[in-house]
Amino acid sequence: MQKYVQTDLTKIKLLTSHIFPQLLLILVMLIMVILLSVTSPFFLTWDNLRNIFDHSSLYIILALGMTFVISSGGIDLSVGAVAALSGVCMAAAMQGGLEAGLSILGGLIVGGLMGAANGSIISFLKINPFIVTLGVMSLSRGLALIITGGIPIYGFPRDFTWWGNGHIGPFNPPMLLAAFLTVLAAVVLNMSRFGYYTLALGGNEEALRRSGVSIHLYKIIVYILSGVAAALGGLVVTARLNTAEPLAGWMLEMDSIAAVVLGGTSMKGGKGSVAGTVTACLLLGMLRNGLVILSIPSYYQQLVIGIIILAAVIIAEVRSGKNLAFINK
Amino acid sequence: MKKIIKKMVVFMLLFSLVAFAAGCGSPSSAPISGEENGTDPATTEEINEEGIEETPAGPVMSSKAQEIEQVLMEQLAPLPEFNTGEKIGALIITLANPFWVSMKEGYEKAGEELGIEVTVMAAPTEGDTKSQLETLDAMVARDYAAIVASPIEPFNLVPGVVKANKKGIKVINLGPPISEEALEEAGGYLDGKITVNYEEQGSLAAEYIVEKLGPEGGKVAIIQGIPGAGQSEGRAAGAKRVFEAAKNVEIVSIQPGNWDRNTAYNIASNILQAHPDIRAIFSCNDVMALAAADALEAAGKREGVIILGVDFISEAHEAIKEGKLDGSIAYSINIYSKAALILALKTVQGHDIPDEVYSPLALVSKENVAEFAGWE
Repeated sequence: MQKYVQTDLTKIKLLTSHIFPQLLLILVMLIMVILLSVTSPFFLTWDNLRNIFDHSSLYIILALGMTFVISSGGIDLSVGAVAALSGVCMAAAMQGGLEAGLSILGGLIVGGLMGAANGSIISFLKINPFIVTLGVMSLSRGLALIITGGIPIYGFPRDFTWWGNGHIGPFNPPMLLAAFLTVLAAVVLNMSRFGYYTLALGGNEEALRRSGVSIHLYKIIVYILSGVAAALGGLVVTARLNTAEPLAGWMLEMDSIAAVVLGGTSMKGGKGSVAGTVTACLLLGMLRNGLVILSIPSYYQQLVIGIIILAAVIIAEVRSGKNLAFINK
Repeated sequence: MKKIIKKMVVFMLLFSLVAFAAGCGSPSSAPISGEENGTDPATTEEINEEGIEETPAGPVMSSKAQEIEQVLMEQLAPLPEFNTGEKIGALIITLANPFWVSMKEGYEKAGEELGIEVTVMAAPTEGDTKSQLETLDAMVARDYAAIVASPIEPFNLVPGVVKANKKGIKVINLGPPISEEALEEAGGYLDGKITVNYEEQGSLAAEYIVEKLGPEGGKVAIIQGIPGAGQSEGRAAGAKRVFEAAKNVEIVSIQPGNWDRNTAYNIASNILQAHPDIRAIFSCNDVMALAAADALEAAGKREGVIILGVDFISEAHEAIKEGKLDGSIAYSINIYSKAALILALKTVQGHDIPDEVYSPLALVSKENVAEFAGWE
């Protein structure tokens, strides 16, 4: 059966190509751009496209970290909460009189530490990442609530808010940060030894262990990356809103996981695509924006995004040869 | 090959579903349910406590509502030109909260009445400050003449308002304040403000209590909402000012009830324990006032104690009719939203407007509750 599908697929090169999911995403995106441009004259303007890039940058930053985690066969549910915690730490540090740069550094370290906690528990104690990161998620939210006393911290110096809505030519810092991290992540995942080991962790952890690689180290680094990415996300969201709130980044982990899966990274690990993740983030950003441009109530955003994610997962499963009964009968 | 085609068909079906949802849902066809259950707004969110009006929608406006609308129109005179078809966007907090669902309905009704095109957008949840800003950004990209915005927090909409300013879209701030200090720093401004005067809500209620207590006065207590929340602080401060100015009235306790029914119930029981001769309790919202009434009832001490709340939610309306609650402070969501749209129209048409407009308030008590039949 498996063999038959394989030979069948090779008849069309495009479908066998490993970049098929990304091509599909780009196609969907093009259709969406055309649909939205035709339906609304306000969609295809530079101001609005800038909005989409600006809004997607936060998702991209978090989803890049998540791409590494999921490629390595893990999952990180704590990123939204870690983003909030890091943002709150930066805010508290600035409130305590620390300058913006050092506060940001402190926040990033907090993010890294939470990631290290995730990675260490998962790797050394061999506990399911789902449960571990769920615990760290709750722990981080709790800490953020304790630090703020439940009341958001407002009003930061310009040096800090610049990270959210400063100007660098026609772009702003979150967009450039997202773009820089995208290139960095693509190089690391596809061209470095670390990237190779990350994929190998997801593909065949046992083989990697037998070849003498310290899998603990690499696993922990993967989660640290995700934690630092979450902290960078926390920086962007705190600076943009000029507010650090303990409940910021609510459900952000779900958005990142959705983007990663939509981008063609396998939930089973061993396969990851940075380009796919970024395209998926832009697609979701465009969708959210388009729904507002078309004045469609917020209820529908959730519904439509849910449908798209389900569609993407079903396509991925079909392609991976785990055949759907009704199609192959 | 056949299989691939089948697979593609499955995908196309799924995608067309998505495209259908994205392309065909027009605002008018959106089946929004306004039938949210409004009996229990007792969550800890600051905005939630605003409560809901859910009286059966009668075609006839209550006499009190007409009177209040009159007061407001005088405040807004001269009125702008209506039926001009201007496009106005309204950004509310979330449709997951019954208060804001009522607000959305109020906007839409008023838009129809005034002959303008009103579109109401919202954040997905009460706490999603980031999505609310993103929604505002996308609204600014459209062709609205004015946007009426109610922020989740003082700062989250600031960058979006600046964009609207640059594009020449008028911005009216309704309800929770947008920080004007932060706005100024970012190079933006508000074209108008409309809000409820929280202090006045507290002082109105306290004045009624003082009047009822008469010259002999007595011990009173205040149950606050979440400490630090604007509504809570404002209402408590207004009530405190009146109580302190009154002769023979002594405030024995000011406690935070966190807008929560259960917390308020316990506080009321404790106050009664400590001060069996308590004469009046002012609660910063109806839910807590109702809880206090229950607590006193359970202790057999309800008689002779005056209990007032704020918001005039439908449950409070019933309770005042039955004599369970002594009174509440009402403002009409319909009039509130209509006033905001009129204000927006005035700025669009180049009228001068007052710095800040307050939605008129009304004290509801057993003496006048009949006038509030059909209140919305």
